[in-house]
Amino acid sequence: MGSLNQLMYTARDALAAQSYGLNVAGQNITNVNTPGYVRREALLETRALGTATTGSVTVAGLRRATDVYIERRELNALGSVGAASTHDRELAGIEAQFNDLDGTGLGSSLDSLFASFSALSANPNDPTSRAAVLGAADNFAQRSGAIANSLATQRDDLLKQAQGTAQDINQRAANIAALNRRIQLAQAQGEDAADLKDQRNNLLLGLAQMIDVHTIDDGKGGLVVQGGGATLVEGVDSRNLIVDLAGDGSLRFSMARDDGGAGTEITQLVSGGKLAGIKEARDVDVFETARKLDVFVFDVGNAINAQHAAGFGLDGSTGRRLFDVSAVSTGAARALTLSADVAGNPAAVAASATAATLPGGSGNAVALADLFKTPMSGGRTAAEAYGDIVGGVGQRRAAVAQALETQSAIKDQVQAMRESVSGVSLDEEMVSLTKFQRAYEAAGRVLTTVDQLLQDLINRVGR
Amino acid sequence: MRITEGMRYSEVLRNLSNITSQHAEASRQASTGIRVGKPSDDPVAAAELARLRASSSQTSAHLSTINNVRGDAELTEATLSDASDVFVRLKELALQAANGGLTADERTTINVEVTGLKDALLQLGNARGTRGYLFSGSQVATSAFDPAGVFQGDDEAHVVPIGNSAPTAVSTSGAESFVVAGGRNVFADIDSLSAALATNDETGIRAALDSVDASHKQLVNARARAGLVLSKLDASQSVLDTVDTEQQRRAQQAGAADPYESYSRVTVLGQSLERAIAVSRQLLDIGGTNRF
Repeated sequence: MGSLNQLMYTARDALAAQSYGLNVAGQNITNVNTPGYVRREALLETRALGTATTGSVTVAGLRRATDVYIERRELNALGSVGAASTHDRELAGIEAQFNDLDGTGLGSSLDSLFASFSALSANPNDPTSRAAVLGAADNFAQRSGAIANSLATQRDDLLKQAQGTAQDINQRAANIAALNRRIQLAQAQGEDAADLKDQRNNLLLGLAQMIDVHTIDDGKGGLVVQGGGATLVEGVDSRNLIVDLAGDGSLRFSMARDDGGAGTEITQLVSGGKLAGIKEARDVDVFETARKLDVFVFDVGNAINAQHAAGFGLDGSTGRRLFDVSAVSTGAARALTLSADVAGNPAAVAASATAATLPGGSGNAVALADLFKTPMSGGRTAAEAYGDIVGGVGQRRAAVAQALETQSAIKDQVQAMRESVSGVSLDEEMVSLTKFQRAYEAAGRVLTTVDQLLQDLINRVGR
Repeated sequence: MRITEGMRYSEVLRNLSNITSQHAEASRQASTGIRVGKPSDDPVAAAELARLRASSSQTSAHLSTINNVRGDAELTEATLSDASDVFVRLKELALQAANGGLTADERTTINVEVTGLKDALLQLGNARGTRGYLFSGSQVATSAFDPAGVFQGDDEAHVVPIGNSAPTAVSTSGAESFVVAGGRNVFADIDSLSAALATNDETGIRAALDSVDASHKQLVNARARAGLVLSKLDASQSVLDTVDTEQQRRAQQAGAADPYESYSRVTVLGQSLERAIAVSRQLLDIGGTNRF
């Protein structure tokens, strides 16, 4: 049977416990808008003294309301969205280069070139029509060069982006490793380390947007973090992700220890996050588009050159090319220029089919204009081949945009699930506040009652 | 399921963002009339539009070529018409000169006009268009006939691409119109008449009458051929105009927004947006006022 003093201690414990509960509810309310904050729950339990029940209460600890499975799904979803959004953004850049719908692209400049051949056939000895051919040819060469340069620049930028992302990943990995250490120390000292875990979780969420991340709890407060299928953080140690170029010019990812040893290549294992999106955009889309552009320009340039060389200029010259085309298709779009054979010399434009029909013969100008309907690249006419490139780029972007939409919807759903488990509900917290406030008041009343009883007792005994 | 403040705000933000984005896209389509603004909007339509744009550009180039060569073709036809008129007058003069009652002086006077008509015919034969001399074939920088009426050009036709068929010849041969390639050398026939007039050779004048007739027919035929070129140009232009209209219709079909659909979509999404804002306000109010 308990004494009044024991009841007083019980009231004291109750005041402390309810105060703790109020404190936790206040903390939750304070952080209702803090990104990555996981709501806390005060864990109260009855205080036992040996085998005896004292009827008192004590704070058993603090619980972060998390669901490890939902957190893993969120990391996966963030990785997928990170890859798709980066991929989509880069494809938008490629698409802009081939958006001929406003009539200012490469296709339009090729149309103008064929139109200039037509106009030349109407007035083969007209200097203005001849100059117009050279202008249109130069414009086509410059436009193809500009697009090829833009694609090459995009490829270079993507390499820098990948290297910058790797630095960011390494920094976050080091920070997670440091937090692992602090959490382990805090837990060893009996602290809950909830704030540190929130910080680590925030870092993980950021990391997942850059590379596919998997985590394993080491049971001692630390997290093993795998990035791109390789261990990135293990306890208090982190490793370095290295981005460089493979022999074929594609991106190569390696994971290395701090000791400077050779890294392990993980290129094929990286499947999510910004890094995966960068690789896909750079080594598949930009590369393939540039290759197709090169083949197109190489074929068109050579076909026009062959026909032009068959004709005769006003000066009687023949065998002259309209374009300087590279020897192989690789790099042809960047290298294409107006040929020195004709640059600045409209008379060298070969409109006539024979020397005898100079200066008014239009046979070769007609043949050049007729190339418009002649298959010249992969069995397709120039317009068809260019349309194929435009359609291909659009198809790719549309597919990735669709994937991004789907992945974003999945991410939103998973985040809603996480928020449902870990987010702060002000309604709940207001109820908690009221609950702990009433309990605190009641504990105070117990204390007052004990105090009055003791007072009565002292007064009666003292008479 | 627990509903938290974060879920409530995220839901509001996502809904508003989604509807605003759709409304902006619908407004763009309604205001520009363009459904396919970039290849990814509809890749198949974008590829089709790229090909149609190229075909349309080619059609425009052909129409422009027709306009460019039409002037010379019309001038050729008019010149040959004038040339045949010259022979109408020459025949009148030859008939007049063949009258046995005319004196040598009167025939000399007629010959003055005949000589003048030959000069006029030479000038017509050396007419220039935008490309150069009309009847010189490919030798557009050289006059078709020297002062004696000797042909200096060639028989190369001026061909241009004006459709999907084979290139079309748009010039009329000077050789076939004025000299023996067509059967008669019209200048030589005038010279024969002129010589008979100068020598008061009544028999020669009568003999020249047939030659003048034959030359006249040759020029009339040449004019008919020039007219045929114009007809071809007209026919090609008509076909190309139809093709152009069809290409524009197909481009419209492939890439343009349906105005009724886009306007109604803007209206519907506008109403949705208003409702979403109203609902959002209520959602936020639930969490925002006088708890407990």
